[in-house]
Amino acid sequence: MMATDWNALSDEDFRAAFRDLVKRRLPTELRFMRKQRPLFDEVAVWYHALAEEGWLSPVWPVKYGGMGLNPAKHMIYVEEWGRLGCPRIPDHGIGLIGPLLIEHGTEEQKATYLPKILSGEHVWCQGYSEPNSGSDLASLRTAAVRDGDHFVVSGQKIWTTLAHCANWIFALVRTSRDDKVRQKGITVLLIDMTTPGVKVRPIANLRGETDFCEVFFDNVRVPVENIVGEIDQGWNVAKSVLGHERIFLGAPTRPEIAIERLEKLARARGAFEDPAFLSRYAKHRLDLYDLGSAFERFAKVLRDGGELGADVSILKIFTTELYQRITEETIALAGEDARYFDDIEAGNDRVDAMNLFLDSRAPAIFGGSNEIQKNILSKAVLGLPG
Amino acid sequence: MPRAIFDDPDGTLAMLRDSVEALSARSPGPASLRAKRSRKGDSDPALWSAMAEAGWVGLLLPENLGGAGLGLTEQAVLSEALGRALIAEPIAASSVFASVLLRDAPSSTERDRLAAGLAAGSLRVSPAWRRPSRHSAARMLAASEDQAGIALDGELQFVDAATSATDFLVVAPTRAGGVLLSVPAASPGLTLEERAGVDGAMIGSLRFERVRAPRERVLAQAESVDALVDNAVLHARVALAAELAGIASKAVEMTISYTKDRVQFGRPIASFQAVQHRLVDMWSDAEFACAAVVNAVVRQSGSDRRAARMAVLAAKARAGDAATSVCRRAVHLHGAMGFTDEHDIGLYLKRAVALSATLGQPEALRLEFVELERAA
Ligand SMILES: Cc1cc2nc3c(=O)[nH]c(=O)nc-3n(C[C@H](O)[C@H](O)[C@H](O)COP(=O)(O)OP(=O)(O)OC[C@H]3O[C@@H](n4cnc5c(N)ncnc54)[C@H](O)[C@@H]3O)c2cc1C
Repeated sequence: MMATDWNALSDEDFRAAFRDLVKRRLPTELRFMRKQRPLFDEVAVWYHALAEEGWLSPVWPVKYGGMGLNPAKHMIYVEEWGRLGCPRIPDHGIGLIGPLLIEHGTEEQKATYLPKILSGEHVWCQGYSEPNSGSDLASLRTAAVRDGDHFVVSGQKIWTTLAHCANWIFALVRTSRDDKVRQKGITVLLIDMTTPGVKVRPIANLRGETDFCEVFFDNVRVPVENIVGEIDQGWNVAKSVLGHERIFLGAPTRPEIAIERLEKLARARGAFEDPAFLSRYAKHRLDLYDLGSAFERFAKVLRDGGELGADVSILKIFTTELYQRITEETIALAGEDARYFDDIEAGNDRVDAMNLFLDSRAPAIFGGSNEIQKNILSKAVLGLPG
Repeated sequence: MPRAIFDDPDGTLAMLRDSVEALSARSPGPASLRAKRSRKGDSDPALWSAMAEAGWVGLLLPENLGGAGLGLTEQAVLSEALGRALIAEPIAASSVFASVLLRDAPSSTERDRLAAGLAAGSLRVSPAWRRPSRHSAARMLAASEDQAGIALDGELQFVDAATSATDFLVVAPTRAGGVLLSVPAASPGLTLEERAGVDGAMIGSLRFERVRAPRERVLAQAESVDALVDNAVLHARVALAAELAGIASKAVEMTISYTKDRVQFGRPIASFQAVQHRLVDMWSDAEFACAAVVNAVVRQSGSDRRAARMAVLAAKARAGDAATSVCRRAVHLHGAMGFTDEHDIGLYLKRAVALSATLGQPEALRLEFVELERAA
């Protein structure tokens, strides 16, 4: 089969092709799922459909089974995905470890792992954070000690999203220690989670769902060939992955979902007749509108073939805080119904006001907390001392 | 650390605080909340009995009705301490609201029976008076009267401790104003529906279908009913404000201690200025909430009714906003740990949201305040 040159299509045609795919292959019951992080089995139909149609992996090069989309087309892909209510798939393989292997992996690693990501045989999770290493990731301690042609891994990861449905984890481990430069001595290791000594414990979150886990390693033997890139150089390997995709941390998706719920509740309760509410709504609405403009400012850099700088983090801070403001407004509008944990009535429909309010606590923490983003911006962009 | 400060010449208030702490050491609030949530309960019977035994459930009832005969100051201190300990029992509804209705209602055998049972903990008396909002498809409650008594039809919402209740204190509109009556939970025609509340307790809705009550169960009628409810709302709002202030204060303390212990980049995260400034803001919000609660309590003994009402509106609004926003920031400063169900800080956030939404969200209360002030 000749691969389609997706980048050659007009934006309209590309959009239409994605919509057509969704129409044909995405079961209605999987659209606009309430669950933020469905397990692999819950969305396997969609995962396999995407793979069959060649749409699973938007940015991988064509020769590895990807669509090879340029950033402009990739943005349309992400936009339509959200707009059409496609469910989140376990995407650590496609989005994180795939690109990492493509850039730093050996040909053998690429040949081994990439097809199994596409087939869904390998479901990946990301083992970076540890109990004592969150914002300060470079302090991580999970140790990998060389023993012949194996590493013996001992330690613990935490907040590992979807570890309970994954069978592979790409972990940052410590292979040596350099007290002056803590980033040195970290290595990226691919670990088969079915190896003896790996234990996973799911952790319930505020929404009452279990999206993340603790992962324990007790003398887990991992073949030496499972390191990615150079030994002790894992920090740079890991950092290099998120290139243009950092823009998506600042995508307006979450506040868009939230404002749709706010509007639904406001319409059902006649709140648009209330000038005080309307004025607050207008502020949120324009925050979202202007986030679009700011997003476009960075998207243009990518479309023009440029590279993103550290400044793109302002989008992440803005979108996560706006998500919180809108969900807080929804809770306020709910009145006494804000006492309910479950979805609340909005005319003939229901709105998951509390679910989103609680969910909005998380994005300001993960992916580099907003304080950490501000520390980076103040140094790297504003050039402030300290 | 933040606290509602009242004169306490004989140390009664300090003792009250100590006994709440002692109870929470024996049966920690967060554990009780989690257990209640997982069995879909609306109250913790053991905790409630202990509170009744300590004299807290009937705190506002006069001694001749079996209560402790104490006032709003003691109630505020108690509620603040319960908020701190996250003893998330329906004290505002099933103790304060119910007690004030019974205390203020004209004397009758039924009134005295309910008051004594409430204070002793042998009866669970749950107020049921919230009519479905206009956004809801539920039917309004209506009462009709005949020779034999009262017949009730329709629905009431936001009933706390609805399954635990032995008796409901029902407020229903009639042609001749309102009626306050007691309805045994086991009455024929009375059904209960429950939904999970965000703070772990189930919230009930009652459906009445030709529920009949004899005349002896009527506790008050006509215009006096509105005044009774009004005063109960006022007292319950003070209790809620105090509980919220306690939640806010405790959440600040928990976050200070967490950020002092949590080391990242080789230092406690509390040593970063961005974190310090946030903590100062949170502490300041909790202090303001406590001050507002004290003001609300103190104003109740003055002669100016309007000023007294305004102070309560201000306190409930201030404490509601303070507790929810302090807890939001507290969760954030706990990092991913704050986003778990295992750490208690998230339960504080949920309880804060629930109480702030009870009997008026901050904005509605502020609008009422300004309206009252400008009406002068
Ligand atoms: C829903 C969710 C999913 C996640 N999924 C994964 C995953 O799949 N894999 C994975 O490896 N990790 C995952 N994480 C972990 C995430 O990366 C960490 O939560 C994040 O790095 C913050 O670390 P921490 O939680 O330990 O918070 P801490 O680092 O302890 O920070 C606590 C608070 O202190 C603040 N703070 C810290 N340092 C500073 C400073 N220098 N100046 C000012 N403020 C500071 C932070 O902003 C935060 O508010 C997930 C987290 C969440 C919430």
